Amino acid sequence: MIRALLLLWFAWQTLSPEAAQHMRAGIAADKQRQFDVAIAEFRKVTELEPSYADGFVSLGQAYMEKHDISSAIAPLKHALDADPDLAPAHQLLGYALLAQGYAAQAIPHLQRVDDKTGLGIAQIQTGQLPEAVANLQAALTARPNDPDLLYYLGRASGLLSKQSIDTLLAAYPDSARAHQALAENYFVLRQMPEAEKEYREALRLRPDMPEIHLELGEVYAGAFQWAKAEEEFRTQAKLQPGNAEAAYRLGTALLEQGKAHEARTELLRADKLMPDMPETLYSLGKAASLEGDAAAAEKEWTKLLSIEKESSLAAQAHFGLASLYRKQGKTAAAQHEMQEFQRLQSSSNQQAPGKEENPH
Amino acid sequence: MTSVLLVAALAAPVFEVTLPHGLDFILQNSPTPQKYLIETMPGGVALLDYNNDGLLDIFLVNGGHISSPMQMPENFERHDPRYWNRLYRQNKDGSFTDVTQQAGLANAGDGNYGMGVAVGDYDNDGYPDLFVTNYGKNILYHNNGDGTFTDVTAKAGVAGGGWSVSAGFFDYDNDGKLDLFVTRYMDWDTKHSKDCGGNYHTYCPPEEFPATTNILYHNNGDGTFTDVSQRSGIASKKGRALGVAFADYDEDGFTDIFVANDGMQQFLFHNNGNGTFTELGLEAGAALSEDGRRLSGMGVVFQDYDNDGRPDIIVTELPREIYGVYHNDGGGSFSYRSLETGLGVLSSGSSGWGVGLEDFDNDGWKDLFVAQGHVLDNVEHIDPSLHYLELPLLAMNRNNRFERVDSGSTIPVAGRGAAFGDLNNDGWQDVVMTYLGGHPQVFLNRGGKLHWLVISLRGTRSNRDGFGARVKVNGQTRFATSAGSYASASDKRLHFGLGTAEKANVEVVWPSGIHQTLNDVHADQFLDVREPEKP
Repeated sequence: MIRALLLLWFAWQTLSPEAAQHMRAGIAADKQRQFDVAIAEFRKVTELEPSYADGFVSLGQAYMEKHDISSAIAPLKHALDADPDLAPAHQLLGYALLAQGYAAQAIPHLQRVDDKTGLGIAQIQTGQLPEAVANLQAALTARPNDPDLLYYLGRASGLLSKQSIDTLLAAYPDSARAHQALAENYFVLRQMPEAEKEYREALRLRPDMPEIHLELGEVYAGAFQWAKAEEEFRTQAKLQPGNAEAAYRLGTALLEQGKAHEARTELLRADKLMPDMPETLYSLGKAASLEGDAAAAEKEWTKLLSIEKESSLAAQAHFGLASLYRKQGKTAAAQHEMQEFQRLQSSSNQQAPGKEENPH
Repeated sequence: MTSVLLVAALAAPVFEVTLPHGLDFILQNSPTPQKYLIETMPGGVALLDYNNDGLLDIFLVNGGHISSPMQMPENFERHDPRYWNRLYRQNKDGSFTDVTQQAGLANAGDGNYGMGVAVGDYDNDGYPDLFVTNYGKNILYHNNGDGTFTDVTAKAGVAGGGWSVSAGFFDYDNDGKLDLFVTRYMDWDTKHSKDCGGNYHTYCPPEEFPATTNILYHNNGDGTFTDVSQRSGIASKKGRALGVAFADYDEDGFTDIFVANDGMQQFLFHNNGNGTFTELGLEAGAALSEDGRRLSGMGVVFQDYDNDGRPDIIVTELPREIYGVYHNDGGGSFSYRSLETGLGVLSSGSSGWGVGLEDFDNDGWKDLFVAQGHVLDNVEHIDPSLHYLELPLLAMNRNNRFERVDSGSTIPVAGRGAAFGDLNNDGWQDVVMTYLGGHPQVFLNRGGKLHWLVISLRGTRSNRDGFGARVKVNGQTRFATSAGSYASASDKRLHFGLGTAEKANVEVVWPSGIHQTLNDVHADQFLDVREPEKP
């Protein structure tokens, strides 16, 4: 930074007084967002001092600030002709070219300044997806909550995933993995019969792929076929007794069918494998309540509320506790839980007014 | 209590799905690209014996013609016979004759798009009267007793307005005269309609439009009614009401009201016994799902499914919500039992409308019938796992767990209204179901070997229909009403399956408070029970 300032200072010393005056006027106008004035002043600088690279950079930058990207490119290129190592010129030109859709031409300039954000975005456009993911991840380390970065990383990862799947489908269309990939696509589109068919074919080809049972179970659950979902989750749970998700899914499928006792067994197993997951605790409370074990239901929901206080699951736990206390005749406790439920409901309604889960 | 009950007959009833000769009605809902919400909401059906010849007749509510787009003033061309409501008189051979015109029911009002129907003898003259709900003005038809009806809406003062759907007669103050409750869906009109769903162009969810109030009319006994919605407290709660059913859930001697609301909490109006009601749905545990979620309540039945003597509530809803079973635990409290009863797994992918709890196999346990079909006629484009056209749900009650059996229907339809009764007087409950754009489906129960008893109440101190009476037969309980389901009215007679029992003990608690007992009543008969003049 200090070196750059010194260079700029030395550069200023070489300007004619007239050019320096226009330079100062341009900078002042630019600060006041009077971009047309700034452009006119910087243009005069470049006319008076055609070898003064910073004048061209300033001109290009003013054009970019005015969102006249196409006009920015020529002065920025001129700046690099005058000074091929001028980092700001590389960076601005890289973004200008990227904005104009010339991603491949932008990349060398962005590489010169190691601008990982710009590089990642440009590499998405040129199809260099692994490089894009790596660069965007690195950029995200510096700015973890940047929404643009999060978006582009998601896009790059998604495209990379799609690229892998496309390669898989093209090269090995009859493989189990290809059928699994197709099934996943159908599942996302909620085309359950097609998803089921592809998963079944994948299983026929590779009965040893245990995660397919979990996914197939989700297909059945999505199509409200809970008995079939239970069967698949059960198979998965047998194949992978240490898989907490399989135990949880099996528990919820059993619960949906009103098989509270069996559900509770599986949910307890899920809780043991992966303790204190709020979803598991909520379902455990529900299963216990269905079985008439009010003490256990109260224990699970209270535990959930010690972990989550403001979520929709917390609201559900308060509602469950209110019902439970009402049945026990504990009116004050029931009222308190109902108030908490209503408080959370009203805050979630304010966050998402008119939110509706069902297509109606 | 259930020791007198009955062997569980595991054989399911056999329904013959038929269109009896002469029943040529088509429910005209007139779907348009504008997606006016009313198009997907009709229409009701009523089973009543309007001419007291002992045979159930059928009244069907029609929608109307909707121009695309709707012109002002709104005109649904109800003068065109295609859009008439229709009354079909049942003939002795099981066929039907359209008597709409001669009965004076042809004029439904050009500005009215039809929705539902309620049946009750509001003037205690022994002939059932008709109340037709509309988007527009509602109509009260007085049964003249000579095969004709007279539109007495203006005199009675029950035209209401806005968008009414379900309605029902009941006697909330036990004065012996039937009062009238009318549900209203939302504050909506064709001028302020819109479509939702972006490129899919769908009917909008109810949250898109303001909620509105229901109407309670008090019967003055002189052919007029007074709107008591405000002073009774009914109008203090705004909702999006589609279904209504009545029963005295806390056994305090006064009939309470359950209102099925769409996309929000359900209402349980407790009758305070002094002409006012308090909405206690949330406090009683009958307002939301087990997880505290809002429900898309559409149809409702308020009867005792588990033979514990207390009326339970079943609400039909949209997919993923599962039909709500609210078990009456006593003490004014309900618990949600959709999963335990097996109804969750039977309904998670379906959209339910008309609903009834009837003992279709006469085994002593009330079974469930639901008219089904999604609201959106293009729902498959949005979610291929859901369906606009569905088969109805017929689920047998096996020890308080519902199990799906074949309803006999093979063609999926957009089911809406459903009414229940014994059409051919064979002791086995039948069903008439309406669906959008088609003829009604008649489910004729082919019966079996088990015994039955059908009771007709004749109130003297109480209202003549005996609505609100609690009738207990061999450990089973029914609450006398013609209301419930969706936009429909069922046979007012009370049907009981007796299993292998050849005799029955009957207990009636009349709305007047009179208790009446009849012992060793022979099975397999239609029994008239007249309320004693004195306690």
